[in-house]
Amino acid sequence: MKALFNLRVLGAGLLLAAAGALAVHGQPDLDRKWAFMAPEYASRLENREVYIDPAELLHLMNDDYIELVIYDVRNERDWNMFHLVDADRIALEDLSSQRDRLRALSELAVVVIVSNDEILATQAWKRLMALAKPNVYILEGGLNHWLNVYGVVDDEHEGHGAASLAKPDGTLRHPFKLALGARHAAAQPDEHRTPDRSYTTRVTLLKKVARAAGCE
Amino acid sequence: MAPLDLTGMFGVTGSYLVYIGIGFCFGFILESSGFGDSRRLAAQFYFSELRVLKVMFTAIVVAMLLVFWASALGLLDYDELMVKHTWLWPGIVGGLIMGVGFILGGYCPGTSLVSTATLKIDGMFFLFGHIVGVLAFGETVGYFYEFWNSSYLGRFTLPELFGLETGVVVLLVVCLALAMFLGFGWIQRLVYGRGDPQ
Repeated sequence: MKALFNLRVLGAGLLLAAAGALAVHGQPDLDRKWAFMAPEYASRLENREVYIDPAELLHLMNDDYIELVIYDVRNERDWNMFHLVDADRIALEDLSSQRDRLRALSELAVVVIVSNDEILATQAWKRLMALAKPNVYILEGGLNHWLNVYGVVDDEHEGHGAASLAKPDGTLRHPFKLALGARHAAAQPDEHRTPDRSYTTRVTLLKKVARAAGCE
Repeated sequence: MAPLDLTGMFGVTGSYLVYIGIGFCFGFILESSGFGDSRRLAAQFYFSELRVLKVMFTAIVVAMLLVFWASALGLLDYDELMVKHTWLWPGIVGGLIMGVGFILGGYCPGTSLVSTATLKIDGMFFLFGHIVGVLAFGETVGYFYEFWNSSYLGRFTLPELFGLETGVVVLLVVCLALAMFLGFGWIQRLVYGRGDPQ
């Protein structure tokens, strides 16, 4: 009997010790979770498998079969200056609030993260992968590159035009005359009027789309 | 990192074999714990035998520690685990109905399968009643559909309810389990003058 009692006390002690150690150790936050996931997913960043060309994003924006979610992780000032149509502005530290939304996305959903260049967007990509592993991509070159391709020179001071993408520093390199947000023409260019751009398709859907036949 | 894609790893047939193996082990442990006997199960509610509380709650606590330690060490992505969503009032009412059935019949659905597997007649009748109940629910749920879908809280867990860190909640649950073992054992000795039969 005494042996059984001692065994029970030992068992209870072990459970308490394990629980106490767990309380001290804590659960991983998004950054630590990414560190666990990195061996499996970091190669997608290194091989640039998740960086999509602006033309591909524009095509997604015009594809009615796809549920497109665009997260803009820039600060409010840059957001007010220019942002893409239907983009959602969300700070990096608030991404965890999107867990339920990401989990509710359909298999035809594509998530694209944009920032001025790729720095913030890449950090956001890691966090979203740690959060919910959605079908998520990054706009290649960021909005600076987007505006190089689709920007309207007259919208910018001194007809600024193409910005250098070298040495990215997270800043918006297109100085707009007016803070029009999504009301700039470049926020949703007409895909049929922009020059053709060749690109390597990176986006893959989790489910095949049965597209209706028609005029294409 | 778990949870594992068993279908991707072993194919459909292989994954089904894994599920069967897990189910077999679960049933084996339930039976060897004595949960195939309705008298032992019902005795829990009269405090004359605390086997159900001790075995099940210990299993819950051990599994909980394994899950959250695996998550803490990066072996398991806890967010990928399926956690039943909460419909509060339907859950409470359903739990009450199940509790009444448990006391009256001496089984819960899982243990009735265990009992049936060992050819106990009362287990078979309970299982039959369970199936009839499920069919009756399916045919009548349209009349109380609104209630059945009410008070939806989504994936709602204790850490969110209490606003505490997961590890702290785990520690509190372990303490609760041990306190219940001690407390109910004290009640048992008070009422029956003895502990659990060995």
